[in-house]
Amino acid sequence: MSKRLFVFTLLIVLAAVTLVGCGGAQPTAAPAAPPPAAAPQATQPAPAASAPVKLTLWHMEQPDHRVKRFQELIDKFNAANPGIVVSQEVQNWNDIYTKAPAAVAAGNAPDLLFTTPDFTLLLQPLGAVQPVDDLVTEMDQAHHFYPAVITPFKYSGHVWAVPIWNMTHSLWYRKSVFKAAGIDKIETWDEWQAAAKKLTAEKQYGMGLPANKQMYTDQVVYDFMINSGAEEIYNKDGSVRFDNPKTVAALDAYSKLYQYSPPDSPSWTWGEAEACFDAKTCAMVLQFTVISTYDAAGGDPADLGVMAIPHAADVTQSGTMGAPNAVMVMTKDDAKKQAAYKFLRFILEPDNYGSLLTAEPALFLPLTEDGAKSTTFWNDPMTVKYRGQVEGMIGVSQNGKMYGFTSTNIFPSIAKISGENMFAQALQKVVIDKQTPAAAATWGQQLMMQTVEQ
Amino acid sequence: MSVSVLPARRPARWRLGSRQTNEAILGLVLVAPLMLWLASCILYPLVSAVNLSFQDVGIIGTGGSFVGLDNYAFILKSGGFWAALGRSVIWTVANGALQTVAAFVAALILKQHFRGQSIARVWVIVSWIVPTVVVAIIWRWILGTSGGIVNYLLLTLGVIPSPIGFFGTSNTAFASTILINSWRWFPFMTVIVLAGMQSIPEEFYEAASVDGASSWQKFANVTLPGLQPVLFVMGLIGTLWSVNVFDTIFLMTGGGPASASTTLPVFIYVTAFKGYQLSRAAAASVIVGLILVAFVLAFLRWMPSPTDEEAYR
Repeated sequence: MSKRLFVFTLLIVLAAVTLVGCGGAQPTAAPAAPPPAAAPQATQPAPAASAPVKLTLWHMEQPDHRVKRFQELIDKFNAANPGIVVSQEVQNWNDIYTKAPAAVAAGNAPDLLFTTPDFTLLLQPLGAVQPVDDLVTEMDQAHHFYPAVITPFKYSGHVWAVPIWNMTHSLWYRKSVFKAAGIDKIETWDEWQAAAKKLTAEKQYGMGLPANKQMYTDQVVYDFMINSGAEEIYNKDGSVRFDNPKTVAALDAYSKLYQYSPPDSPSWTWGEAEACFDAKTCAMVLQFTVISTYDAAGGDPADLGVMAIPHAADVTQSGTMGAPNAVMVMTKDDAKKQAAYKFLRFILEPDNYGSLLTAEPALFLPLTEDGAKSTTFWNDPMTVKYRGQVEGMIGVSQNGKMYGFTSTNIFPSIAKISGENMFAQALQKVVIDKQTPAAAATWGQQLMMQTVEQ
Repeated sequence: MSVSVLPARRPARWRLGSRQTNEAILGLVLVAPLMLWLASCILYPLVSAVNLSFQDVGIIGTGGSFVGLDNYAFILKSGGFWAALGRSVIWTVANGALQTVAAFVAALILKQHFRGQSIARVWVIVSWIVPTVVVAIIWRWILGTSGGIVNYLLLTLGVIPSPIGFFGTSNTAFASTILINSWRWFPFMTVIVLAGMQSIPEEFYEAASVDGASSWQKFANVTLPGLQPVLFVMGLIGTLWSVNVFDTIFLMTGGGPASASTTLPVFIYVTAFKGYQLSRAAAASVIVGLILVAFVLAFLRWMPSPTDEEAYR
């Protein structure tokens, strides 16, 4: 080999290794996390009395109108509290599961972070979340949280987040479309399947159901599991009970309805389902809400129907996936923590709370008794316009349940089961790989058991 | 012989204050920032990834202990890894073939003299300039079943009875993603191939014409050998780029449906950040890195290099 050829070869190998490095390198190991704090700690000196306490709030509500409403509330709080400056930073739900742990490891975590039950369970073992038992007790006495909303955030001897709003699925349809097809009401899965078949026409799919390996599909699969009586996914000892006849029935019912869904639904998230309904391509969808887009498209409020999710014949009452959202206090600085408490007290005052909930009209549902009566909530123009639907959603939300948080026994593996979208993966075995529901339930059980064992 | 010469010459060349020494120092100073950048941005993460692969770190931000080769054993026994490797091979070969053919066709057309040639040369590169996330959104619209233009045209023309869910089945999702990625990247190859074509002296084509060569013979005997240096580099670098493509696949399909488009980078991401198995993902990264280094060495060993005089004959 000539010298030139050797040098050329060496350069090519170096370039290749560099490219490999660019593609393959993963984030570095982080130092061991401290144990969860048992009580408020002041690990940093409090700022001087004259310096304002700065709080950073991360939330995942990206639409402009939500950010704008948040900012209005923040400005109002900052104006009323000269010693505190709250600022918001918008994240998104797809990234936050990786971004937040990285931020914690790097020491850049926000002071306040919006959360869901499984996301809290991911961060709490990292020692990044501060217990808020005292504030939640105080807020419960002042505003009366609905009974089930604190439970998903209460484990390891503490409450780890302050519940802020609820989001639940309902079945959305157009009354005129139902009337034209001669459909009156749907309560059971048999009626649901018959309706979907009847509503499927040349340019209309009877039912829009997702099959993506994504959180929306997890949620909808769980809607079916709840309405089959399979809402408990853990036994009391923490072992998984996914593989049972009720789950099999849920997967079977899902697949029977799925045949009336658009062929691109394996790539759907929430937005595509909503768009399908708005375009009148889907006659029915399971969604948190469709009101904003339906209204923006010039829909008639009187024609928009919402009902509880149908259930199996042997189940007496409809249920729904309920995703209570909450706020975690992340800061360990005592002055910041007191400022964060002040901000959360401000947010839960009924008038402010109503304004917060209507950041996305008819999506964020109240979790406190006095918040549910808030005039700012009920007088919001969109809520006034769609009052019937909002009342229907609130009615449905009374039976909301979140996977892995249906009892007081909460197991950390639910964070991984949720993070890896295992319900959606099991469903894909049925609707894409064409396995039987029983085989898919067995496969899903094995997948979950591996996670539990790890 | 040279050993006896070097000690005598070195003091003269490296004398402090001499022109050669000053130039050498200047060169080092100029190259130092780049070397430091490379060391911090590439070498450090690489070393960290290897270190991480020998631990049992799950979630980023947590600690881990040394577990030796356990993660490597787990990954090598994992069906998901081998399936992803198989898909990566299909992905790389299919993208390479499609992009090469498309690039050659486009470059041959753009090499011709016609009105609007300059505009066409700029226009062809647009799809490469557009950010990946925009490409993903555009193609999801184009191929969607609710108002997507492709399904609309196929339905209107009576080609299909009902809309096709391009991202709805395992085969169509992966094939669609390959086509979209090739569409995005072939302009880059076109520009490289076109530049290579323009470096081939026109006299070669004139001589071939005098000898009565057909268009195909000119392409096979003049153009292709003349492009050999370009093809060598593109074959190597393009393959490495292609294997490492993550954004297009993840944005289009997320690796689905039912893992049908989960190639190695997606597998690694999902393992690390959805499955919270950071160390196992690091082990998979190291294995992929070794596979690619082996590919590079094999490529250099078996493919004719631009310095191989035989290739020019």
